[in-house]
Amino acid sequence: MKVLKVSAGTIAVFVLPCLVLYICLVFVPILVSLFIGLFDWNGIASFSTAKFVGFGNFNTMFFHDANFWPSVRRTLLYAVASMLEIPLCLLMAILLNRYVRKGNVLVSIYFTPVILSVVVIGQLWKTIYNPVSMGGMLNGVLIWLGLGAHTHNWLTEPKIAMYALYFVSLWQYFGYHLLIQFTGIQNLPSEIYEAARIDGADGFKADRYITLPLIVPIFKISIVLAFIGSLQAFDLVMVMTAGGPAHATDVISTHMYNSSFLSQKYGYGSAMALFLVVICLIFTSIINGIFNRIDRKVS
Amino acid sequence: MSALNSASVSRSVHSVKPTKPWKTVKKGLIRLLFAIPVVTQLYPLLWLLLYSLKTNEEILDGSFFSFPKVLQWHNYKEAFQSGHYLKYLANSVFVTGVTMICVILLSSMVAYAITRFRWKYGGVVMLVFMMGMMIPMQTTLLPLMIIFSKLHILNTHASLILPYIAFQMPIAVFILSGFMRGIPHEIEESAFVDGASVYRIFREIILPISIPPVMTVCILTFISIWNEYILAATFISKESLKTLPFGIYTFVSQYSANYGDIGAFLVMGALPVILIYFFLSNQITKGMVAGAVKG
Repeated sequence: MKVLKVSAGTIAVFVLPCLVLYICLVFVPILVSLFIGLFDWNGIASFSTAKFVGFGNFNTMFFHDANFWPSVRRTLLYAVASMLEIPLCLLMAILLNRYVRKGNVLVSIYFTPVILSVVVIGQLWKTIYNPVSMGGMLNGVLIWLGLGAHTHNWLTEPKIAMYALYFVSLWQYFGYHLLIQFTGIQNLPSEIYEAARIDGADGFKADRYITLPLIVPIFKISIVLAFIGSLQAFDLVMVMTAGGPAHATDVISTHMYNSSFLSQKYGYGSAMALFLVVICLIFTSIINGIFNRIDRKVS
Repeated sequence: MSALNSASVSRSVHSVKPTKPWKTVKKGLIRLLFAIPVVTQLYPLLWLLLYSLKTNEEILDGSFFSFPKVLQWHNYKEAFQSGHYLKYLANSVFVTGVTMICVILLSSMVAYAITRFRWKYGGVVMLVFMMGMMIPMQTTLLPLMIIFSKLHILNTHASLILPYIAFQMPIAVFILSGFMRGIPHEIEESAFVDGASVYRIFREIILPISIPPVMTVCILTFISIWNEYILAATFISKESLKTLPFGIYTFVSQYSANYGDIGAFLVMGALPVILIYFFLSNQITKGMVAGAVKG
């Protein structure tokens, strides 16, 4: 129940500054994209020289851009790859809760990479991936292990570069997902476990029948965060490879960025931005739908 | 798994003695399991620190674990002198600070209005903010660039701060309104009856009570804005206005042959946030979880 009856003016004072700013900077740009996406415009000349092409940009995007669908595929693969570590994180979180008294200290250690800027992470891993002749650590480790035949130029070989990027993402967010699951398990009411112990469900039996069903909502949060985060994957790729070599690591957003700012195709870039917005909306609702179904089954 | 299970069963059946050797093994295995991520998550950072203290020759010999013979502190000196470090740092502090203040002020006002005022459109406003959560920031890059260049604010800090505020708003409004909804009405009612204005109630009652969620919002805003790179790299080109992440990027691409200096600059770039994390790790991890779980 809302108690305060206040004048419209007061409400305006509280709401409008924020709402106007928000709409102008988040929704108006989408509308601008929608508009510009219908034109062929290089962004340099004034907009009056832009040519109206209707859905021509979308036509080009879907049917005539050899780099578009591969970048969509990489984005989706990115999203799937980023979810792979979450079950592992859950397992680690369960074990941490069981065997380590000060688990949160360990978790804060694992969490450290999450708070670092993507520029630092990206440059750090670029130096790790460097060839041995440039002091790269990974190749050094491989040679030391006697796996010298498996050394690579991780970021410049088109077939490998994308996997090298996936890995950095997994590395950086490992601690994040572990933290989320760990906290989730800690917040489960301990009475349930005590009751279960009396009924003879202990150890892994308790995990199977109590922890797993109860942790589903938290697990879902991790999955959604990983999935949506990687659909939007952008800055890490920009910092490490900028979509190269020869588009081998282009994801939707880097392709959009390069088309708009490097190739000066503002109209085309806007069309791609819209595509990205739509794809994010669609996949968010799909994931939510899937988990709602699981939720209903479990409970 | 079954081995662990049977161990716990046998422990309850037999006396403690026969299980002892297995217990040590188990303990060792578990320690190992938890130690591996410590190495993988921290060693790259430690490696960077060592890297930053080496000469070019020591770096190029490719060993992944070696200490520098002589600590090359001059790498830091050079990185510091040629890299405008303090300028970037100051810009980051300014941009992040202003963003945080505005986010907290604006979002708490909106959250208050949504949760406590009796008016028709509260739900709609909330919905508008929640919808924005699903819009990726980078899709607004191009249109914002066009809009900002029309307004002649490209290449100013305003071109960063304004979108930063806007994109932090949904999560902030969400967290704060979640909290404010639970504040007992009696507190406000009595103040209202005593003749206090809404503004005073907000300032002197609601805001002080809301310190915990405000801290969460602060942490989330700090981490994401302090580290933001793409907007900064797109909207800013003036050296004197660059924030730290973009500054690091510029430095690294300019001095690509002085490996030690690059390492030193990366360490200096990571340092502020690492220091803050060192002292506030509990608050930060809690804040990040709250942000994740509530968002």
